[in-house]
Amino acid sequence: MLDSSPSKARAVLEALARRTGPATLMEVCGTHTVSIFRSGLRSLLPEGIRLLSGPGCPVCVTDQADIDQAIAAAAVPNVTLCTYGDMIRVPGRGGSLREAMGRGADVRVVMSPVDMIPLAQKQPEREFVFFAVGFETTTPQTALLLKEADRLGVKNISVLVRHKRVMPALDLLANDAETGVKGFLLPGHVSTIIGLEPYRPLAEKYGIACAVGGFEGTQILLAVASLLSQIAQGQPRVVNAYPEGVRDEGNPDARALIDECFRPCASVWRGLGPIPDSGLELRPSFAHRDACARLGLKAFESVPIPGCRCGDVLRGRITPAECPLFARACTPQEPVGPCMVSSEGSCGAWYRYGRTGGKL
Amino acid sequence: MKELISLGEGSGGRLTAQLIAGIIENFGAQNGQKDGCEDCTFVEGSLAVTTDGFTVSPRFFPGGDMGHLSICGSTNDLAVRGVRPQWLTMGMIIEEGLPREELHRLVKSAAATCAQLGVTLAAGDTKVVPKGAAEGVFFSVTALGHSVTSKPLGMDRLKDGDALILTTSPGRHGTVIAALRYGLDLGGLESDCAPLWPLLEPLLPLPGLHCMRDCTRGGLGTVLCEWAESTSLGMEIEEEALVLHPSVTAICDILGFDPLYLASEGCALIACAPEDADTVLSRLRAHPLGREAALIGHVTAEHGGIVGMKTSLGGTRIVDMPIGEILPRIC
Repeated sequence: MLDSSPSKARAVLEALARRTGPATLMEVCGTHTVSIFRSGLRSLLPEGIRLLSGPGCPVCVTDQADIDQAIAAAAVPNVTLCTYGDMIRVPGRGGSLREAMGRGADVRVVMSPVDMIPLAQKQPEREFVFFAVGFETTTPQTALLLKEADRLGVKNISVLVRHKRVMPALDLLANDAETGVKGFLLPGHVSTIIGLEPYRPLAEKYGIACAVGGFEGTQILLAVASLLSQIAQGQPRVVNAYPEGVRDEGNPDARALIDECFRPCASVWRGLGPIPDSGLELRPSFAHRDACARLGLKAFESVPIPGCRCGDVLRGRITPAECPLFARACTPQEPVGPCMVSSEGSCGAWYRYGRTGGKL
Repeated sequence: MKELISLGEGSGGRLTAQLIAGIIENFGAQNGQKDGCEDCTFVEGSLAVTTDGFTVSPRFFPGGDMGHLSICGSTNDLAVRGVRPQWLTMGMIIEEGLPREELHRLVKSAAATCAQLGVTLAAGDTKVVPKGAAEGVFFSVTALGHSVTSKPLGMDRLKDGDALILTTSPGRHGTVIAALRYGLDLGGLESDCAPLWPLLEPLLPLPGLHCMRDCTRGGLGTVLCEWAESTSLGMEIEEEALVLHPSVTAICDILGFDPLYLASEGCALIACAPEDADTVLSRLRAHPLGREAALIGHVTAEHGGIVGMKTSLGGTRIVDMPIGEILPRIC
């Protein structure tokens, strides 16, 4: 349907936009956010088509209190805390993990949590804690760590589980009348795991167009075209516009792995607050790997940041530029809110790539 | 709480600029660089000087090692201002326990690069520190030489309409180091670490040659931003014109890095009058290091202070200066 040549793609989008009228779309994946900006896609969108960034950046939605707890874990003597790269820069109330490293904490960046196993085997006297964040994309790898550590009898590995589930947050947004989102650009990575089925109520119950998109500029254009075409036809459904990466049924083995190790629980999203069933906790069969219990970590309080409107940005109620702090009190150098901190946060990406509104 | 120096302040972006400004302000106005943030400074007549520290980990990597890198990195800062590298001094901080053979390999490699360039080691210093006080070995190199151009090359000569030429495909050194640190397969990729003087010398007689900069820490993106912000001119580049090594693209995709911000150690950005662009390109392409030289954009009086990119998709976007340390994303 869509040619890869930019001028033709643009013509297709414009023809569709004439039929849809003004429409607000939302991408719910941090990698999409960055790719959309890097490819300059926003500057190609027809007049009246708005593309907002939703709560798809795992770093942005990790609550401040959880970061404070991870810093507390790293401060326990003989503990090595491992986590994903862009997590270490995000500030809690007591600074960031990166700052804790400057004070002597042993914090390491891992590409995959199973990389911790040889580290833990080499230093059996130290406790290796994995600060487990991210959506369904990264959860199976944490499950794999738990199972491998048990299978190999590596006792000095525990996990601080703060994984999140995408669907409860999308439900919340779909219910939010103020947002007015007519189409969701669904996350490619998460969908490789959960498949298309969980999204169907978004289309059927809430009438929101849905398309799973890949990560190249042209793949995202394809998904946007699918959304506009669904809206134009008045037939919202769930379309897999990334069949080369996502199977409709997702990955049942990975889901079984998640289910074996974790069960849903309430979770606090930075900016959005508590959402029922949106988090994961260890099942009793893996309770012996719970870092909170093993290190005796206390729970931290999450305190709203005065003036910060990241919650409204994540819900699509405002664009980053509409926040009074944006590019004034809140910049990537001195971020106030979480969306400005991460490389994939909507405010950070908006600032770096689009603060002139996409025009040069 | 005491304020501590963060690692991000060493990444070459905005935080580094602030760190440096906070240091220089303690010296009187006669100190520091007279001509803004260039790669080297003219201290008397045509005599120029630059200094650089080397702490890369790992010290040996595909395409080079810290010895070779220390000579390339320091002399390239002279070469891009039209200064022939002639002398250098070398300080070494050696951690107790470093295998002697490793030190000799690094020094032999540095000496070979000096010989290739005809550069003389004029002075040096060694310190051995207790285990843990340094990581292996650190080098500090100061390079000196005389300019061979009649007018110094620099940002003050950038002009609206200048062609922007990149001497080779960018980001290879930074990608190699990142891949090694995070245990990723290099797919045959090597660091581009190389001395630039032999490549750039043939360009120096051209009257239209205005400004050159090697794209080290902070990468091509940072150089473009520094040029735009220092001159209030706009820079415009075309994504299609940037030829990336397939492994650079693949590794950056995995880590979530933008190749524009990854370091090169043998790649320079050149601004020249449009009428000289073809000559610059043909002279670069005649040298093995410049075979992939490409016209990537131009300087413009529009959008002053901002670097814009025309994307392959046909859109536009800003290229901003990176803020701090570049970290791999979650997924």
